Amino acid sequence: PGSANSSGSGSGDVRSPSLSSDEQSSEASLVTEGGGTPLHPDTPDNLTLAVLDSVAGKRFGHCTTLLDDFMLTHPIFLTADRLQQVLLQFSFEGDRGGREGERREEGRGGGRGGDEDAEAAMMDAAERKQAVLNVAFRYLDTYRELLQEEGERSNSFPKELYLCAVQELTRYPELVEDVLKLQRWTEILHCSEEEKESRKKQVRPLFRHFRRIDACLQPREAFRGSDEFCRVYTPDHSYVTIRSRLSCRVGEILALVREKLQYSEDQPVLPGNLILVAVTSAGKAVFRPSDEAVFTTLGVNTHLFACEPSELDSLLPLPEEIHWSPGDSKLHDMSAEEVSNQLVVFDWELFSCVHEVEFVCYVFHGEQSRWRPLNLELVLQRCSEVQHWVATEILQCQSLPKRIQLLRKFIKIAACKQQQDLLSFLAVVLGLDNPAVSRLRLTWEGLPGKFRKQFQQFESIADPSRNHKSYRDLITSLRPPLIPFTPLLLKLTFLHESCKTFHGELVNFEKMHKVAEMVRIIRRYRSSQLMDTETSPSHLQTKAYVRQLQVIDNQNLLFDMSCKLEPKDT
Amino acid sequence: MPEQSNDYRVVVFGAGGVGKSSLVLRFVKGTFRDTYIPTVEDTYRQVISCDKSVCTLQITDTTGSHQFPAMQRLSISKGHAFILVYSITSRQSLEELKPIYQQVLAIKGTVESIPIMLVGNKSDEMAQREVETKEGEAQATSWKCAFMETSAKTNSNVKELFQELLSLEKKRDMSLSIDGKRSGKNKRADKLKGKCSIM
Repeated sequence: PGSANSSGSGSGDVRSPSLSSDEQSSEASLVTEGGGTPLHPDTPDNLTLAVLDSVAGKRFGHCTTLLDDFMLTHPIFLTADRLQQVLLQFSFEGDRGGREGERREEGRGGGRGGDEDAEAAMMDAAERKQAVLNVAFRYLDTYRELLQEEGERSNSFPKELYLCAVQELTRYPELVEDVLKLQRWTEILHCSEEEKESRKKQVRPLFRHFRRIDACLQPREAFRGSDEFCRVYTPDHSYVTIRSRLSCRVGEILALVREKLQYSEDQPVLPGNLILVAVTSAGKAVFRPSDEAVFTTLGVNTHLFACEPSELDSLLPLPEEIHWSPGDSKLHDMSAEEVSNQLVVFDWELFSCVHEVEFVCYVFHGEQSRWRPLNLELVLQRCSEVQHWVATEILQCQSLPKRIQLLRKFIKIAACKQQQDLLSFLAVVLGLDNPAVSRLRLTWEGLPGKFRKQFQQFESIADPSRNHKSYRDLITSLRPPLIPFTPLLLKLTFLHESCKTFHGELVNFEKMHKVAEMVRIIRRYRSSQLMDTETSPSHLQTKAYVRQLQVIDNQNLLFDMSCKLEPKDT
Repeated sequence: MPEQSNDYRVVVFGAGGVGKSSLVLRFVKGTFRDTYIPTVEDTYRQVISCDKSVCTLQITDTTGSHQFPAMQRLSISKGHAFILVYSITSRQSLEELKPIYQQVLAIKGTVESIPIMLVGNKSDEMAQREVETKEGEAQATSWKCAFMETSAKTNSNVKELFQELLSLEKKRDMSLSIDGKRSGKNKRADKLKGKCSIM
């Protein structure tokens, strides 16, 4: 493992050298400096042992944040197998250690009797085993849903531990409760063949690709490792829907497409190598066969095409992106309050689907491959979608008075959100700040003074100066449940560019600690539930509308639309 | 070939495993494969001649399972013509078409001007036949729709199926061959040689 960063100083300094001194103060981060981690850079194994020692009470006095730091971030520097090995080793080390302890005491000619030594050694060994079990349970609790998706493969961990622990019961009968708990875990993680089959049948459509379907009204469920439906187009805009894990490689996607289209060896002319391309009206990007998890990183109107390299230049984007039926948008008939309610309910669903580990994975993008931040990527996409929705709705509105009404409505929508859903709040504000929208002088001038003032206040929260101080002040003043403006997450912990994850073989645990701090902040945001999420039947239309936003995300096109509404230099 | 509003949309329904995808792929690509890959939803586009010009034939191959009733309703409401497929080796598969037909009727209001083709596929499997041709014909008569037996495997009646379906559409004058001169075989050969024969 090597570090992805080329810049950054030594292990002690975790601040970016490019920030001003003002920003470098501890206030300039959501993560306060008070209480770093007691662990110095060390090898993955040693860190694990240090954590185990801490849990066993031998070091750092049962430091609970240390265990939490380790739990959240260890996939970055430790494979599941290695973790298991180290845990088991530590457990048995206790036995050897005990006997060695006896010998040590005797060798020093200590004054204590042999029996007391043996007892002390036994306690020591018992503590170690208990520590291993505690850490194991913590691990299983933290990663439960993810492990369940992995199926039988991840069941080997509790199984082996269980078998070892059972053998220890004669010597350490106090462990019996934990041994039973382990057994229950093996049952929880046991994935029978029937369960696998039935889970295969419960494939859910990738919500963006199946708009206008009743399913969009169901509460969002998290994407885990299982199969999803994904649509891949061919140059003539035919498409096939394949089933694959969202995290799979481009090469596999192409193999599935090829199979679908019945390309086979016995065709006299084989098609050339297929390539996978992301296409939008603003451009195209070709994926490498080794790229993974491409679906959740696509923009709102971006679609995947499979074609031969020679067909790349002539690929045309799907017309749905820019084809609009004339007439008023449905938004005119909806109240700002209700739209706002539906926005926060949906945002909360999306945000709740993100596993804590995904935030960690996102920070360490590319540095580990076991888990993928799929649900987090969807949240970020949603943010972009809302921004473009605002701009699209306004720019589609031909009538000036109605456009002014829309502006008012969006500002009202933003006003409802600022206490709780900062994702949609700032997305709406940024949408209104889109240059194609902000240049509509006549429209903005038609806005009553109080709305304009209110919007200016909102804009000041989006002010990025002093590392987004206005935003940071706002969010620290709010109480959970709370949805942060997720795109700022990385920036506000300004970790990645400045800190190396590794110094050679040694893990920079200070960085792990800071990342875990960020996760703990998010945990606080999610520490209470959103109230009143039931939708009355009269609001189902609004609910469906909010979950199937049609947007234009081609900035050039938006600008053209803007110029048609209010030509330049008028 | 961007999608235009004069696309002609044909939707293929039927129970799982009766050969919907095989029929569609045999028609669109000219190929056949024994391996069974359950479909979710695929759509194939092909330019055809229409009135005095061209338009795009859009064939949607649907899922045989009942996972997505909403998607099914959407396909019906958007579709212009329907192909209801059963396998002659499975009486059950013909039974399963009944609720689908009912749904088309319910959503469209009437089937009078809507081209519908009842298709008994796998006509090559004579030894396993469960549904006689006469029964299929009788069902089609009661539904007031057309009927045909096909085999995607042996490529029997496949092209005829689509050609017949298009000719049932009274609002447009459509045909599979653009210039009327090339036969199916030549078209395929041209495709394989890398020539674009239908554009």
